Amino acid sequence: MLHIQGLTASIAGTTILRGLDLDIAPGEVHAVMGPNGAGKSTLSNVLTGREGYEVGGTVTYDGNDLLAMSPEERAVRGIFLAFQYPVEIPGVGNMYFLRTALNAVRHERGEDPLDAMTFLRVAKEQMAALDIDPAFLSRSVNSGFSGGEKKRNEVLQMTMLEPRLAILDETDSGLDIDALRVVADGVSRLRSPDRSMLIITHYPRLLDLVRPDRVHVLSAGRIIRSGDHTLADELEVDGYASTVAAAAS
Amino acid sequence: MATSVADRIAVGEGADAATARAWLDANGWPGRRDEAWKYTPVDEILASLEVEVVAEELVIGEVVAQEVAVTSADVDDLAGDHGGPRIVFVDGRHAPHLSTSHPLGDGAWCGARGDGDAAEPVEVVRYDGFQALNHLAAHEGAVVEIHAGIEVDLPIHIVHLAVPTASRLAQPRTTIRLGDAARATVIETYTGLPGATFVNASTTIALGEGAHLDHHRIQTESAEGIHVGHTRTNSGADSQLRSTSVMLGAAIARHALDLTLRGEHAHANLEGLYLPRGYQRHDNVLTVDHAASHGTTVQLFKGVIGDEARGSFGGHVIVRPDTVGTSADQTNRNLLLARTAQADTRPWLEIFADDVRCTHGATVGRLDDDALFYLRSRGIPRTEARAMLITAFADEIIDHLTPASLRGHVHDAVRRQTEDDT
Repeated sequence: MLHIQGLTASIAGTTILRGLDLDIAPGEVHAVMGPNGAGKSTLSNVLTGREGYEVGGTVTYDGNDLLAMSPEERAVRGIFLAFQYPVEIPGVGNMYFLRTALNAVRHERGEDPLDAMTFLRVAKEQMAALDIDPAFLSRSVNSGFSGGEKKRNEVLQMTMLEPRLAILDETDSGLDIDALRVVADGVSRLRSPDRSMLIITHYPRLLDLVRPDRVHVLSAGRIIRSGDHTLADELEVDGYASTVAAAAS
Repeated sequence: MATSVADRIAVGEGADAATARAWLDANGWPGRRDEAWKYTPVDEILASLEVEVVAEELVIGEVVAQEVAVTSADVDDLAGDHGGPRIVFVDGRHAPHLSTSHPLGDGAWCGARGDGDAAEPVEVVRYDGFQALNHLAAHEGAVVEIHAGIEVDLPIHIVHLAVPTASRLAQPRTTIRLGDAARATVIETYTGLPGATFVNASTTIALGEGAHLDHHRIQTESAEGIHVGHTRTNSGADSQLRSTSVMLGAAIARHALDLTLRGEHAHANLEGLYLPRGYQRHDNVLTVDHAASHGTTVQLFKGVIGDEARGSFGGHVIVRPDTVGTSADQTNRNLLLARTAQADTRPWLEIFADDVRCTHGATVGRLDDDALFYLRSRGIPRTEARAMLITAFADEIIDHLTPASLRGHVHDAVRRQTEDDT
């Protein structure tokens, strides 16, 4: 589904990704872990089409050149990024935003747009599952939301938009243990044989709740080690330093 | 130069025409050196007035719209139908066949009136050549008259339509009078057919004690046109004014809003939205004169400026000596949509009293790239995402328009105006 080869990225003259290779098959959940500054957020930005990066290498998604697509094109074709820092947009209603996004994705899939009533019903079901206050829909996008509310809003969007490749950028950061469980349950419910996930995280705690198929260690812009979920446990005990040092020697 | 245009127009017979004539002869036109005209390309306006305006023949009662085919459907498209009486003027002349009347009940009247029965004498404080030119001309003015204690629920809609005729100069005049404790909503729409038009408009508003007026002024004239407008308001004690100005049209547009709080405890909310694009120039000039104690005024003007356009806001606040308890707030926010767009903002506070609370603030910013990316990352196309962010900025003003049909009408116009053609 996703095939990344020799991916490089630099911003304002600073090189961040230095030849990253990664393959994700349909239905697989991969985790990318790494110390601060390894390039984790750059990877999610480049995969979702954020402007401002000089990008090299190839990324194919379902056989198509992903890097040639605009952010909205990637999104309607099924790529979703759960933001590390969801953006506050005062004046844009959450419901209007979500429905516009959902109908853009449905349009690409050849489905009819959802009317306001149907949308509301579906949204409320999902919100109940994620323990989100229904009043949330009438507020501005992420405006004045707490850290936990913002992250739950990301998972709500992901649930509604039903992506084929979900990228979660530090979705566990800033969550207390209860909120983490709600988020992890939401993510776990989305696991399916034709949906892939890329979980980017600094800490292994989300990975205790959502067991990935593969774990990769990103350091200085490259994947230096890969393994199964036990690698995450190992990193929790030993930290990144020994893995990074071993890769360097 | 002042007199040559003045000599070519049909002159009114009332006392205000004589006052205006004397003023114009003595003072002439404003220039760039005049503080209130600093951001207005007044030379271009005067050149157009002098060179292109030919003799104006005004025949009272003539159905002028016959020479240009304007239909009620056109007026619906250009100005909207907001459920109340709609009095239509074409180039400053009443067009009864385009107007619709609704009974307003006893003590309330709206319609057209000749200059013979002007409601009150012209004030020449903060006067200028354009106001004088308007007051000099013979006209059929729009009049809204609400007597003391009368509350009118239906919105009264005055439409001034400009058409590119040979004479070019349209000088609409509007008078709105609310007696003590009267209440009304008045919409003034300045719109026009495509082509070169020149509109010099003057509106006078008088609010009695405890009167409430919602006044919305929407300007969507031809992008080739010139619009010079003045709104002069006198607020009585305990009166409440909620005023919204939306400026979308004309190549050069200037609107001067001059408010004097004459009675104590008067309140005014003055809001505005201007959205120049292309090479448009939009200029807002506010003067708020706190001439009585315990007045409160809140100004909020927002600009959305695209392409090579320029938008400006000047807010002049005067607090008179021997007044107490004045509160005056002023905010101007601008959103620039292009590197070449320009915003000018200028507060000008003249405070001659001690017991005063005045604030002013101005911002100039661009669309938030993070917000734009966030929306696009959810599949919302760039043009749509951009429109959502612009609308979010503009809605703070648009949301205060009444009735809902006017909000919808302006919302659509703003959406069209700010669509990205790239």
